[in-house]
Order: sequence, then structure tokens, then C-alpha cells
Amino acid sequence: MFDISLVRHLPKDTKIPFLKVRLVAMVLSVLAIIASIFLFTTKNLNYGLDFKGGTVWEFHLDESPTDADLGAIRDLGPGLGLGELAIQTIGQSDKDKVQAIRLSVSKQPALEGDENDDKAQQVALKSIQNAVVELYPEVAKTENTLSVQVLGTKVSGELKKKGIEAVIAALLMVLIYIWFRFEWQFGLGAVAALTHDVILTIGVFSFTALEFNLSIVAAILTIVGYSLNDTVVVYDRIRENLRKFKKKPLEQVLDMSINDTLSRTILTSLTTMLALLALYIWGGPGLNGFAFAMIWGVFVGTYSSIFVAAPILLLLGVNRKGPQK
Amino acid sequence: MLHFSRWKITLILGAIMLGLLFALPNVLSEKAREALPGFLPSQTLNLGLDLQGGAHLLLEVDLKDGVEKTLKSELAGMRAALREDRVSATLRIRDEAIFVTYKNAADAEKGVPIMRKQSVAVDANALGGGGKTLVIEKLSDLRYKVTVSKANIEYLSNRTIEQSIQVLRKRIDPSGTTEMTLAKEGAERILLQVPGAKNVDELKSVIDKTAKLGFHQVAVTDDVVLRLCVEDDQCPLGKVAYPQKNGGGYMMVFDREIVTGADLKSSSEGLHPQNNYPIVNFVYNARGARKFCDFTSKHVGEPFAVVLDGEIITAPNINGAICGGRGFIEGSFTMESAKELSLLLNAGALPAKLNIAEERTVGPELGADSINAGKVASMLGLVGVAIFMWLSYGLRFGTFANIALATNIVLIAGALSLLGATLTLPGIAGIILTIGMAVDANVLIFERIREETQNGRGPINAIDTGYRLSLAPILDANITTLIAALTLYFVGSGPIRGFAVTLSIGIVMSVFTAVVVARLMTATWLRHARPKKLPI
Repeated sequence: MFDISLVRHLPKDTKIPFLKVRLVAMVLSVLAIIASIFLFTTKNLNYGLDFKGGTVWEFHLDESPTDADLGAIRDLGPGLGLGELAIQTIGQSDKDKVQAIRLSVSKQPALEGDENDDKAQQVALKSIQNAVVELYPEVAKTENTLSVQVLGTKVSGELKKKGIEAVIAALLMVLIYIWFRFEWQFGLGAVAALTHDVILTIGVFSFTALEFNLSIVAAILTIVGYSLNDTVVVYDRIRENLRKFKKKPLEQVLDMSINDTLSRTILTSLTTMLALLALYIWGGPGLNGFAFAMIWGVFVGTYSSIFVAAPILLLLGVNRKGPQK
Repeated sequence: MLHFSRWKITLILGAIMLGLLFALPNVLSEKAREALPGFLPSQTLNLGLDLQGGAHLLLEVDLKDGVEKTLKSELAGMRAALREDRVSATLRIRDEAIFVTYKNAADAEKGVPIMRKQSVAVDANALGGGGKTLVIEKLSDLRYKVTVSKANIEYLSNRTIEQSIQVLRKRIDPSGTTEMTLAKEGAERILLQVPGAKNVDELKSVIDKTAKLGFHQVAVTDDVVLRLCVEDDQCPLGKVAYPQKNGGGYMMVFDREIVTGADLKSSSEGLHPQNNYPIVNFVYNARGARKFCDFTSKHVGEPFAVVLDGEIITAPNINGAICGGRGFIEGSFTMESAKELSLLLNAGALPAKLNIAEERTVGPELGADSINAGKVASMLGLVGVAIFMWLSYGLRFGTFANIALATNIVLIAGALSLLGATLTLPGIAGIILTIGMAVDANVLIFERIREETQNGRGPINAIDTGYRLSLAPILDANITTLIAALTLYFVGSGPIRGFAVTLSIGIVMSVFTAVVVARLMTATWLRHARPKKLPI
């Protein structure tokens, strides 16, 4: 009765020559990295409020807004001296619910006599809120406001700096740990794979112009963790096999180790994907970007631990003669 | 790897029971929680503001004000000290510094030591004095520049923030019953979090007002002098001009207050005894009563101005000496604005202006939506992963992995409740992610067992070897993920920290449940069933 175990039908003892295609993989990875960097430098990222500053106000009218409503609200911006307003409706999964409006006011320059622009943002929020309430009195009800977020240059600049610091700090700490646990070639290989993942994730956000905010930084750090998890499992097996098969050429040992851990790599990617898909589909709009970044990250993280982290060891060589404990 | 001593089993089961116990209050209704006997934990998960709704405001203290005020009082002190010793010098404040110009060399020689004496230890109680209050620079033989020292600014900023926090607490929560966070954040900010805040505008207006109240003597002047003062900022010494609240233009008053808000004991809103307009009543403290009594008895028939935050509310005539220690302000109030002003006066004036550097407000509706979405996503993710594990490893080993997974979730909830950690929206993402990643350790182990079986080992041997050889990669893999999560915790801010917390706890618990709890189940099953062949 315990016969449904599907893993038994997985091909046993696979011998896929992963390292054979290492050149193709390398070209692919390098191209993707160049494309990502190119996109990032030319198109940059669609920074969200966290890093850009400004005002985002989410509210709803008593009825779902029509195009005329949206137009009327959008037209308020120039009259108030706030510049162009970005406006969109937020889809509610629940059909009975009134669609909400997400209104973004770009960051306003500092008021005269002020040292920073914090106050200018608050003034902008107040003026747009008053103007909208004048058109639609029901918006004055507190329960019609879903959320308000206001950030000036100072705080958003700090968040950006902190985010970059976090990613770099995490990469460094991980490098040190791997160095400590393995040899330096492994540490370098792991960090190369991680950097690859981070750059490609930034690239995909630049390409899709999806909003890049604090939770995406969290996703990137988690991708670092996940990709590393994968890489370490492969590395661990490489280390084990290097001791077991002292005479085998390095390329064969690497291939063998990847194949040994392949079923685990696939299964874990699948379970993580399952959870992330649930998050992406049902987790609500607040977690959409995060889930998307993670799904992409699981994909590139799995790829990089096989096609980046392992081949780099071949490139750098591994010390097989030293004292092996 | 497969032998568990009795005390070890007790310990493992005990840990799980403890986790269950701490997680339990989260699924009970409030009523059932209250009915729990006192020795049982009744604490539930704290929901972050993004989930329960509320206002999050990061306030920045405008120190420029404080520095200016300090310079003004230093200038007054210095001028008095120099005058006392008959040193002639002109003192002027410009660009956040006092510029002192002596008349001649003899004055400078006499004056510089007097000037230096004004710079005292910032904090008399601090070890080594904590630095001097002023920095004196020599610009030329006769010109000197005096600035407020860094140590003094730091001291000033600390004191300002502490006072601001006290005042804000009294203003927002006069009864002391609201649940809120009001704390210093970093060097120059105040974090204010009010869960479930209904009206953020009200909150903001309370923060916005410094509520600096002063009664000033009105200065007699003419239009030319007044215009020079208002338009060109060239006021006669010791006088300033303020606009009147109800139009009526500017009015010149003496800069020094007769009494200030600090001289009031209490205030309350009320109605004017004759015309029934809303007014603000107040009671002076002893010092304030005496000062006001002295002043009014000397200036009968003259007007005085009531100035609030740089605006003249009213300027009544003094009809006779007011010595009763009581009074009221009238100034076309509504009942609400009278109530607000009396509340502000009771809480005291803010020592400096506060700017809102960051605002994040979430309405309760959005928070509830987020919780529901999170619940649905985590349930479906959990079910998906569980079915996947059953399909992959069969009922026997799939169940082991799934029980480990369920235990993991319970332990996360228990740990979060125990730590009093705050569950945020990203925190929910962390839990869902953990659901997907937690089975990894079990997958690693099961795959290793399968491999060892293929290599010709018997069931017991294969399982034992599988667990033994999987330990290193499991630890390495999870410690590195933990490093990333902890980095996020220490560098991240706000809700992102919530993500780091759930992810970190999830990682630790997943290792425990996979390596210890699932192993215990496997070992127990092996001992009883003694299978000839493993069902994976």
C-alpha cells in the first residue's frame, strides 16, 4: 500500500555530462550578465517609493472607479503644482469588492526655507487629499483609505544605502563561511554563483520594469540564501567524492557529484516552487513582487549551482594532494 | 544515529509539547484564552502595523530651532558679562554663529577671557565634563566667531528628543491607555507607532503644533517701523512682529514673554460667562500667577498679546490687575479647537519642531485582506507541498516528512509567540517560503537513503548512513541561509525584519524537525516494523 512513492521511478544513477556544456553555459551566463548590467545602466530600475521617495495613497470610492473618475483625479496634479500623477486601479481578487485607486505623487522639492524635503511631501499629500475629497466627499471617511506612504529624500536615500550594504554584507559573510568550511576555490565559486544570481535578478527587474522596493531586497537576500543552499549541497558531495575517488579526473568527479545530488536538487526546487506559486497566486498584491523575484531566484539559483559554481572549480583547480582530513 | 536514549526522547517530545503549548493561544478565541488557567501561556502573535492597521511615523527633530535658541541665550549671557566689565563690543548672530567684534585691542584682551568663561562643561554629570558648550574661533585681532560645539549639539539633541517624547505621549495619550510605541530611533529621530489609529490627520495635527504659548507686552510703534520689521527683518532691539490670527495684519510686541505656557498649571476648554463663546480656561502656577499679577498691575489700560506658535490669537486690554491666578483666552475658537488647545497646553510645548520623515499608514481593511490572503496562500502552499511529499515518498516516508513539516509550523508559531515577535506581511512570506524549503533537509536525507540502498546496503544500514552523511550538508546549507537571514535582520528595517525573523526561526526549526523529529519517527518505525525492503 506504500507503493505510490514516485521517486522510485526517477532514473537511477544518472550520468548526465553537465560539465560538457560548461562553455555554452558560460557564454550564456556571461551574456545574461552583460545584458543585465546593460539594462541596469541604461534603463535602471523602476524604484518603488522605498528608494525613490514621494507619496503613495491607496483609497477607494464608494463605487468602483470609471475611466472618467480616474481621468478627473489624474487631472488634479498639474493644477495643484504637483506635476504628473501616476494613477492605477488595484485589482481585487474578490469580485464583490470595490476596486481601489493607487495614486502616486512624485517626490516634491523642498519648500523654501526648509533644509530637506520631508515637509514638502506632507504638504503634497494634504493638498491632493483635500482636492480628491472635494470631488468625492466619501473619501474623507477613514475606512476608505487603504494605505498612505510618504517618504522624503533622506529616509529613502538611507533605505537604498542600507539595502546595498545588506546584500554586500551577506555575500561577504557567506564567502568567509564557505572559505572556512571548504577551500578558497569553493568560496570563490559560491560567491561567483551568488553574484551571478543577484545580477540576473536585478536584470530581470530592470527588464520587466516591475517595482523594485524593500521587499525585493529581502527576496534577493533570500535568493542568496537559497542558491547557496543548493551550491553547498553540491559542493559537499564534491568534497566527499574527491576523497573517495582520488584518482578520477576532476571533471568526472564534478559530473558525478552533480548527478548524485540531482534528484534532491529537483525535488527541493519543486517544493519551494509550489510554496512560492501559492504565494504568488493567492498571497495578495503586497507580496506579488516578492514572490515573483523568489520564483526567478529559485530558477537561476538552481541553474547557477550546477552550471556556474561547479565549473568554476574546474577553472580554478582543487588542491587534491594536501592533507585531507 | 538511530538509537535514542529515553531521556533524549523525553526531551524531544517535551520540546514539541512546549511549542504546541505556546502556539495554542493563537488558534483559540479571545474568550477561550481568558479562560485558560494562569500557568498556561496566553500570549499570541503580535501583528505588525501592516497587518492590523495603524500609523507608523518617523519624526525628525528640527535642531536648527534649538541651536538658534541656545545661541540667543548665550548671546544675552555674553553681552551681560561683557557689559559688567565695561568691555565694548558688538555681538551679532549670523549663519548659526555669534560674531563678536571688539572696539579696540584693550577691549579684546579683557573680553576674550570673559568670552571663554561662558563656555562651560556640556553635562556637569558626565565623566570628564563631556566637552565644552562653545567653540571660540579667532578671525582677526578684534573679531571672534562663537559656535555651539558638537558635544553640545548632541546633548541638546538628546534632551530635545527626550522632552519631545514626553510631550507627545501626554498629547496623544493623555489617559495612558492607548497601546503605542514612542521611542528614540537612531540619533535624531522618534518612532511613533499607533496601532489601529482611526484618524491619522488628528495625530499629525497634534505633532505639527509646537504649542509654544506666550503672553507679550504690546509695543507702541508706527507703520514705518512695523513695515521695516515685517518686510526687511529689521526690528527694533528686543521687539518682534507677529501676524494676528483673524487678519488685522501684524502687531509689534516685546520679544520677552510676561508668562509662557510653562507658567501654566492646567487648562481646560469652557464657555465665555457672558457671550457663551468657546474659550480656554487656565490656572497659573505660583510663579506664573505672581509674574502676571505684577505685570497687569503696572500696565492697566494697555493691551497684551497672546501668542501661540508665532501667531497672535488675541490682544485684549488689561482692565485691572489680574491676581487670582486664573484666566482665560478667547479668540474665536470652536469647541473642538478650544479643546485641542487646552490639551496641547496641558501637555506642554514641544522643545523643537518635528518633521515627519516617513509615514506609513495602513487601514484596517487592507490589513485584514493581507492576513486573509496570507492564510489562504500558506494553507494552499502547505497542502501542495504535503501532497507532493506523499506522492514522492509514499505514505510512510512522506508522512514522516509531513509530520516534521507540521511540527515545524507549530514550533515557528510557538517560538514567535514566546519571543513576542511581531508578525508582518513579509513575515508571512517568510513562513510560506519556509514551508517550501523546510522539506529540503528531509529530501536530502531520503535521497541519501535511496542512494545507499542502491549501493546495496540493507534498510537499517542505509537509513543510518543516510542520516549520518546528510548531516554535514544540511548544517552547511542551513547555516549559510541563516547567515543571509541574520544579515537581513541587522541591516534591514521595519517589516523586513519580520521576514528575517520568521525565516531564521523557520530554518532553525526545520533542521530540528528533519534531523531530530523525523529521525525519531523513522527509528521507531524501523524498530517495530523491521522492514526487509524500504518503501522508497
